[in-house]
Amino acid sequence: MLVRLRFTLCLIAGSMAVPAFGQTGSDIEMTIPATTSAINSATPLSQRVVAYDMDAKYDAKAHTLEASETLTYHNLTGQALDTFPFHLYLNAFQPTSTWVREGKREETRGQNFEKWDKKSYGAEEIRSFEVVGQGDFTSRLEFIHPDDDNKDDRSVVQVRLLKPIPPDGYVQFKIKFHDQFPETLERTGWNRDFVLGGQWFPKVGVWWHGAWNCHQFHAYTEFFADFGVFDVKLTVPQNEVVGGGGIEVSSTNNPDGTKTVAYHAEDIHDFAWTASPHYLIYNDTFQGSMGPVKLRIMLQPAHWSQVQREARVLKESMDRFDRWYGPYPYKSLTLVDPDPGSQAFGMEYPTFITGGTTWWEPEGEYFGSAETIEHEFGHQYWYGMVATNEFEDAWMDEGINQYTQIKVMSSIFGASTSNLNLWGVTAGQTDEDRFFYVRLADLDPIAKNGWQYVDSNTYGGITYGKTALVLRTLENLIGEDTMRQAMHTYFLRYRFTHPTKEDFLKTIEEVSGKDLRWYFNQAVYGTQVLDYGVLRIDSTPLDWYKENLKEKKGETEYICNVWIQRKGEFVMPVDVEIKFDNGDKVREHWDGQERWVRYAYQKKAKIESVEIDPDHKIFFDRNNFNNSRTEEANGAPARKLTNYWTCISQFFAQFLTWWLV
Amino acid sequence: MSENTSLVSAGAGIANRNRRYVVWFYLLNLAFAHFGATTFNDNAHAILDHSLHADKLLHGFNLGVFIEFLGRPEFGASPAATHPAMIFAVVFFLANLLFMPGVLLGYASDHRLPRDEFYRVCGRNVWRFVRLFLFFIVIAGIVAGILFGALNALVAAADKTSNERLPFFIQLLGTLIIFLVLTVIRIWFDLAQTEVVLRDQPAVRKSVAAGFRSTRRNLGRLLGSYVVIAIAALAVLVAGVWLWEAIVPPSSVLGAFIIGEATLLLLLAMRFWQRATAVAFYVSERAEPIIEEARSVPAFPAPAVP
Repeated sequence: MLVRLRFTLCLIAGSMAVPAFGQTGSDIEMTIPATTSAINSATPLSQRVVAYDMDAKYDAKAHTLEASETLTYHNLTGQALDTFPFHLYLNAFQPTSTWVREGKREETRGQNFEKWDKKSYGAEEIRSFEVVGQGDFTSRLEFIHPDDDNKDDRSVVQVRLLKPIPPDGYVQFKIKFHDQFPETLERTGWNRDFVLGGQWFPKVGVWWHGAWNCHQFHAYTEFFADFGVFDVKLTVPQNEVVGGGGIEVSSTNNPDGTKTVAYHAEDIHDFAWTASPHYLIYNDTFQGSMGPVKLRIMLQPAHWSQVQREARVLKESMDRFDRWYGPYPYKSLTLVDPDPGSQAFGMEYPTFITGGTTWWEPEGEYFGSAETIEHEFGHQYWYGMVATNEFEDAWMDEGINQYTQIKVMSSIFGASTSNLNLWGVTAGQTDEDRFFYVRLADLDPIAKNGWQYVDSNTYGGITYGKTALVLRTLENLIGEDTMRQAMHTYFLRYRFTHPTKEDFLKTIEEVSGKDLRWYFNQAVYGTQVLDYGVLRIDSTPLDWYKENLKEKKGETEYICNVWIQRKGEFVMPVDVEIKFDNGDKVREHWDGQERWVRYAYQKKAKIESVEIDPDHKIFFDRNNFNNSRTEEANGAPARKLTNYWTCISQFFAQFLTWWLV
Repeated sequence: MSENTSLVSAGAGIANRNRRYVVWFYLLNLAFAHFGATTFNDNAHAILDHSLHADKLLHGFNLGVFIEFLGRPEFGASPAATHPAMIFAVVFFLANLLFMPGVLLGYASDHRLPRDEFYRVCGRNVWRFVRLFLFFIVIAGIVAGILFGALNALVAAADKTSNERLPFFIQLLGTLIIFLVLTVIRIWFDLAQTEVVLRDQPAVRKSVAAGFRSTRRNLGRLLGSYVVIAIAALAVLVAGVWLWEAIVPPSSVLGAFIIGEATLLLLLAMRFWQRATAVAFYVSERAEPIIEEARSVPAFPAPAVP
């Protein structure tokens, strides 16, 4: 009761704080609320462009939703606007859409559409579309396809107004729409009696760099939207346990067996929700540097035994982000454990993330739920607050987030065991990123429109894997503290905005005080592959020509030569360490400009080993095996692997024979 | 239960008296696997022997490094490394098919079978065993196909519920049932093989029918014996893996070899134990001495079966 009273007072106080009424395209006064009840801040954190007020009723049997949306848009573009594009993402789940065509071509996320399944159908139909003060525009809506010539794609719709909206003016759209959710696809839809409502409402595009940015829904791109305020009322059957973005304002039972749950959120750019009769709720609190954050973990009953583990990973991730990069300013965070087998796992929405686990997940396996929780929480920063264009700069949310994932997971679980530490088998986060990157190293650059990669594997390998490895290497170039400071500065400077790739890169250069263009041009904008290798080593006695020469360790003098080769096109200075058999070590620094370099020494010792990058600062060398060479062969690793393989072969042969003879 | 115990212990006695067969087949198994791993071994040495990076595979086992190793072009397309192992597994299967008649005759004998006799009986039964194998494949294939199809349908139905554990346990239970059914078929054909060899039965369909009748009449006793041995095999496997993980240092190739091979030897012995149990059952079921009916098989007294 006390909490509810405090909240009400807060809402009143918030709404009184900044009465931001503005000029409108009609005679009606419109505004974007300046409330601060959902954030740990006395003032709004973002330049609020939109205010969505939605009332939706979900039919759990038909997986449909009837809703009304009132969108208030503040024209902060500096010029009059007479057209407005809207995303209708759910229309992507139709056989003729660009999303399905690309998905069939790429087999994105395992969905190859061998045959069309009716359950995959999704739709977002606008029943009526009114521009307040200008009339009904339902019949004037036209589907557009800015990225391809697919006239059957209906994921973007555009309206042209009769009267333009002047700079700093407001416009209000009143939309009635009907959703048909698919069986979970691309992190939205239903599975059994579970539903995750993602990308479910008509969402206006972003005016960015002097034009509307409203891409079609592609097979492996994500989203881009403006910040604002969301007030959402969801009506669902009373047996459903509901969760959503922002804070829950009220929950009221209705006489018809339904209940209406209301949410309020500020300074976010998307709103997602979920409902299932089976969720168990675990509540916790994280004390952030801007104030307490209420954590709500919605778990499947079979996963309840893992609740402490999930809470621990979430809170420790929040702690690292708070200390290293900046504060999490919202008052709430919901972690959803989606229905098993659904395609709703591992997704980020502002203040609302989905994880995903299994009832048998063992301790020591971190690439499942632990990594997912950390990763999706990281998106609260790299996507949620630093709201980059996920269509055009996927690496800036997925890749930067993957880099911070390496840092956070290594901090929690250890650098070499942060991915897997089970039965003597280990892997770190960088190992995972290398796995995705190495096979596809030269096909696409990091800086590329998300839908224009060769395929979904390259999209993943480059935007996630390569970016993380490039930034991890960059950290070693400029120093860990400097890199952390640069990330912190970038976050604080660009949170609640839509930064570009150059905003990020220039921030790093500015904080480090270094010109890093040579690196960014190759690593971010180029497809050059980094591969250094030890070409050859040789130790020849100085007196090789003497007959009956007897070599004596420590006495015989040798001419020692080392050849280092730059096999790839990526040019980067590297250190080389040469070890001699008398214990001496020599470090060389090569600028890598030529294709090869030779180092020669005259010593009373032979070369024992040579290693490029002996401090292991470079993480995206395509072949780490050729980075070193020892004079003496050590057959033990090969024998170990061969022994494993022999045992497996024997077991297989025995198993075959056990049953067949 | 006591009948089962006596059958299992009789089988153990026979297998123990004829340990050489297990050893020979184990050596075949090891040799073929070794041949099959030659390409893998050569490629691994070429990549790892002079690289310091390989240390992450020796002192511990870094999965990322291992995957990178497999992905190296110098390692060759993985089929080049894996196919020989598959081929030699098939060769081992063929060796079993070829030499098993001699083993069965040796098990039924109370003295060491002369080498020429061993090979003679092997040669005489090659085609019979091939035909029995084809019978087995057809019958086991049909039964397994139907059962796995039914199981998949059940699991799919269970998957529609929100109980996440249910599909898993249905899968587990179903697999166990299929294992038992296939074990019954295996017993049936083990007895048929024994009949073919010990009776010197050229008409394998008669042996198949006889094996079926014996299995049906003594299902509990035979299945119990086979399952007990299978459980022992599972225990051996679990213990071997546990020992490998618990006591073998990551860099000890020799330690891993010893534990691994000891486990595989014991696993192979378990199957021979089942074979010996089938022979013990067959001999105990027959009133008259087998020698009387085995037309060209040298005389040997029936083994002592409790």
